[in-house]
Amino acid sequence: MSLHALMFGWEYPPLHLGGLGVACQGLVQGLLRNGVKITLVLPHANKNAERDVAVLTTDNASVTTLSVPSILQPYDTHGSYDIRAGNISREDCNIYGGDIAGAIEKYTAASVNISRNLAPNVVHCHDWMTYGAGVRAAHYHRVPLVAHIHATELDRTNFHPNKWIYGFEKRGFDAADRIIAVSNYTKNVLTEHYGIAADKIAVVHNGTSEHLTPQANFGMHSRHGKKDHPMVLFLGRLVLQKGPKQFLDMAKIIHRKHPEVQFCVAGDGDMLPEMVTYAINQGLSQCVLFTGKVGSREVSELYNRASCFVMPSLSEPFGLVALEAAAHGTPVVLSKQSGVREVLDHSFQVDFWDTEKMADCVLTILREKPLALQLRSEASRAVTYLTWQHQAEVVRSIYENLIQA
Amino acid sequence: MTPKKKIQLGTSKPANQQTGSPPSICLYFQVHQPYRLKDLRISDVGSMNLQYFDTEKNSAIFRKVAEKCYLPTNALLLELLHAHPNFKIAFSISGVFLDQCKEYGEDVLESFRKLGEAGQVEFLAETYYHSLSCLTSLREFLEQVSLHVRTIEKLFRVTPKVLRNTELIYRNELAQIARLMGFSGILSEGADRILGDRSANQLFEPPDFKVSLKDQRTIRSFRPFNKAQRDIRILLKNYRLSDDVAFRFSDKSWIGFPLTAECFTDWLMGSGGFTTNLFMDYETFGEHQWADTGIFDFLRALPRIWQERGILARTPSETIDAWNQSKQPTPCYDAHEFLSWADQERDLSAWQGNRIQTAALAAIHALEKPVRKSEDPRMIDAWRKLQTSDHFYYMCTKYWSDGDVHKYFSPYDSPYEAYRRFSHALCDLKQMLDSRSHDAPSTIHHSALPTPDS
Repeated sequence: MSLHALMFGWEYPPLHLGGLGVACQGLVQGLLRNGVKITLVLPHANKNAERDVAVLTTDNASVTTLSVPSILQPYDTHGSYDIRAGNISREDCNIYGGDIAGAIEKYTAASVNISRNLAPNVVHCHDWMTYGAGVRAAHYHRVPLVAHIHATELDRTNFHPNKWIYGFEKRGFDAADRIIAVSNYTKNVLTEHYGIAADKIAVVHNGTSEHLTPQANFGMHSRHGKKDHPMVLFLGRLVLQKGPKQFLDMAKIIHRKHPEVQFCVAGDGDMLPEMVTYAINQGLSQCVLFTGKVGSREVSELYNRASCFVMPSLSEPFGLVALEAAAHGTPVVLSKQSGVREVLDHSFQVDFWDTEKMADCVLTILREKPLALQLRSEASRAVTYLTWQHQAEVVRSIYENLIQA
Repeated sequence: MTPKKKIQLGTSKPANQQTGSPPSICLYFQVHQPYRLKDLRISDVGSMNLQYFDTEKNSAIFRKVAEKCYLPTNALLLELLHAHPNFKIAFSISGVFLDQCKEYGEDVLESFRKLGEAGQVEFLAETYYHSLSCLTSLREFLEQVSLHVRTIEKLFRVTPKVLRNTELIYRNELAQIARLMGFSGILSEGADRILGDRSANQLFEPPDFKVSLKDQRTIRSFRPFNKAQRDIRILLKNYRLSDDVAFRFSDKSWIGFPLTAECFTDWLMGSGGFTTNLFMDYETFGEHQWADTGIFDFLRALPRIWQERGILARTPSETIDAWNQSKQPTPCYDAHEFLSWADQERDLSAWQGNRIQTAALAAIHALEKPVRKSEDPRMIDAWRKLQTSDHFYYMCTKYWSDGDVHKYFSPYDSPYEAYRRFSHALCDLKQMLDSRSHDAPSTIHHSALPTPDS
C-alpha cells in the first residue's frame, strides 16, 4: 500500500539541541526506506528554507519540507522563550508571537494552512509543541493521528510539571488514535501519570543512525603519545533532568579513592555555572573538565577517549547518548530511570540517586580489564541490531493498522 | 540449578537391546543452594574479613525453598518409602547445602537423615563446593570430592560409591579419574551428539584412557578411597523424560499437558531398554513446579503405579549391579569434549561462555597456591565457596536479552552485577593473602587501577 504521512516535527539536524532531532531524522530516513512518503513540517526561525532541505537524506526524492516561520525551539519553557523573544525586533515578534502560547498557536494555525492541499493517509506528530498542529491536521484531513512521545514534561522537570504544558500533552494523548512511546519506561509514565490506557500505547525504541555504527578506534590512548589517566565522561545538556550533580557527587567518591581519574562534563545548559561552582566547592577543580557545547566530531573523540560513560539522568525517556557511547565501544553505566536500559543489556544499571554504587560500577570497569573489554565488544555489537530501518518498519505497520481500522 | 530447555515431546528412542521387561527406573535428585554474594563495595576491599556472603538473603531463600520444597517433599518421600519397600531414590546433596542446613535449617537436615534411615536411599558423591574444580585443578577436585565423601559418611553413615560431578559436567578423562578414585559409577548427560542413534537407557563405559603418571600420583594422594576400581559404569540422564517432569510439567502450551502419573508411566515403559535414568533438581518439587501444579500428587502416585505394572525402581548402585549381572556387552560413551546438562548446548558455555566468566574462573584458580599456603581454614573455606558454579552461571550473557532462565535463576540485576560483586570478593581475598605473606611484596597491587596501556 502506498502511504503518505504528514509529519510535524520541531527540531531536525543540523538545527537541533538534543536527541529528539536525531531521532526524528532517523525515523524519517527509516520510513523513506520502508516506502512511506513523508511531508515534514518544521518550525524554524531561519527564513532560508534551503537549509532544511539540505539536511535531509541524500536519497530524499519523496521528502518535501515545508517550513513554518517560528522561533520555537525544543526544550522551550516560558522563561527561556521570553528571553529569546526579548532579543528580536518588535516586527519579528508580530510574526513569531511574543509569548510561547501565542507562538504555538501561530505555528499550529500555519501548519494546518500549509498542508491543506496534501492528501496524507496519516498524521504523525512529535512531542507536545506539535500536538495542536497534529490534532487539527488530522481532523481536517480526516485521517488517524499518531502522537509520538520522546520526552514528557515530567521527565524534564523531575515530576514538577508546568501545568499548561502538561495539559497540552494530555490533550494530545487523548486525541491521538495511537501513541508511540520511545520506551516501556515512558509508556509507564503515560499510564501512571497521564491516565492513558496501556493498550493505546505502542513502544518503539529509538534506533541507531548510520553514523553510530561501531568505530574501529577502540583505543584509550591520548593523542599526545604518553600514558593517560582514565577519563569518565558525562555528555548531555546541563539541566536537572540529566543529573550533572549526581555525576559530580559520583566523581567525588571516585576521586577520594583514585585521584588520578579524570572527569569530563560535556554539554551546555542552565546549570553550567552552578555545576562549575559545585565542582570547585567539592574539591574537584583539578580532575573535572567542563567543555561547554561540543560538536559531533568532538563528541566522537570524547567517546573514544573515555574509559567509561555515565548517564545519571533523573528521568530519561530514552537516552540516545548511551547508545552512541556503546556504539563507540565505551563501557556504559546507566540510570535505571531510563528507557535505553531496555535495549542496552551490556551495561551497568543503577538508580540515579545511588551515586555510591555508580562510583563502584565505574571503578570496577576501570579495574577489571576483561569486564571493560566485554562491555566494549558486546554493547557495540548489540547496537548494530537496533537500526532505524527496522524500527520504522514497526511504525509503518502501526500506520497500516490504523488506516485499515 | 539447572536451566530450562526447549519444549520437546516426551518420547525416547527405543533401546538397542530390548529385554522384554520394562526398564527399571533410576531416580536421582540434585540438592544444592549456593552462597550468594553481598552487595560488596570497592571501598571495603581490604577490610571485608571474608564476610562476602549475603547471610540475610541466603537464609531467606533457604527457608523459602525449605517450606515449599525440601520439607514437604521429604515428608512425602518418607511416606512413600515406608509404603513401598521397593521404591528407591538417590540424592546428591552438595556440601554447601549441608553447610546451609547447619546455619539455616537443622530441620531440613534431619528430614534428609530420616530418609537415609529408611534404607532405600543412595547418597552420591560430588564436589563439596559444587564447583568447577574439575576444569582447573585435579588436586582441588580430589580434595573437594574427598571432603564431600567424608561428610556424607559422617552425616548419613553411608559411603557414596557413585560420583556425580557438578551440573553433570563430564568427559572421558573424568570417568577414568573417578575409576581411579575408587568409584564404580558416574553420572552424565545423555547427549544426542554422542549417543547418535543409541538409546540412553543402558549403561556405558568410557573408552580406555591412560591418565598421566603425574595425575595418577595426585589421585593416589588425594582420593577418597584406598583403591581404584577395575571398571566404571556411566549412567546417562534420559533428558527427554527427565525434563518432561522438571521443566514441562506445568507448561500449558506443551502437548503433553496435563501430565498424569499414568501417562508418564506409559512413556517410561515405552522408552524401552535396561534403565530409564530420571535426573533432576530436587527443587522441581514445589519450587520450580509449585504445589498447585499438582506435582506432589504426581509424585505420590508414581510408586503405586510402578508397583502395579511391575516396574522396578533402583538406585544408581543397584542399577550398576543389575547391569553387570545381566552380562550384556557394555557400549562405549566417547565424550572427548566436556558436556553438561545445561541449556540447549549441553556444554560448558553456561559457566565459561564469555570473557568475564573465563576471567573470573582463572582469577579464582590463580589463588590456589597462596590460599593453600595460608593454611587458614576460614580463608580456604571462603575461597572454595567462591568456586561454586552458580557464581559463574550468574555471569552468563548467552540469551541474556531474551529474558531467559539464567535471568530467572539469578539473584542479581545482571551478569555484570554478578561479576562486580565476585571481583570485589576476590580482590579482598588477594589483599588479605598479600598482607599476610612474609615473602617479598606481591607484584600485583589490586587497589591500583591499571593505566590505559597496561
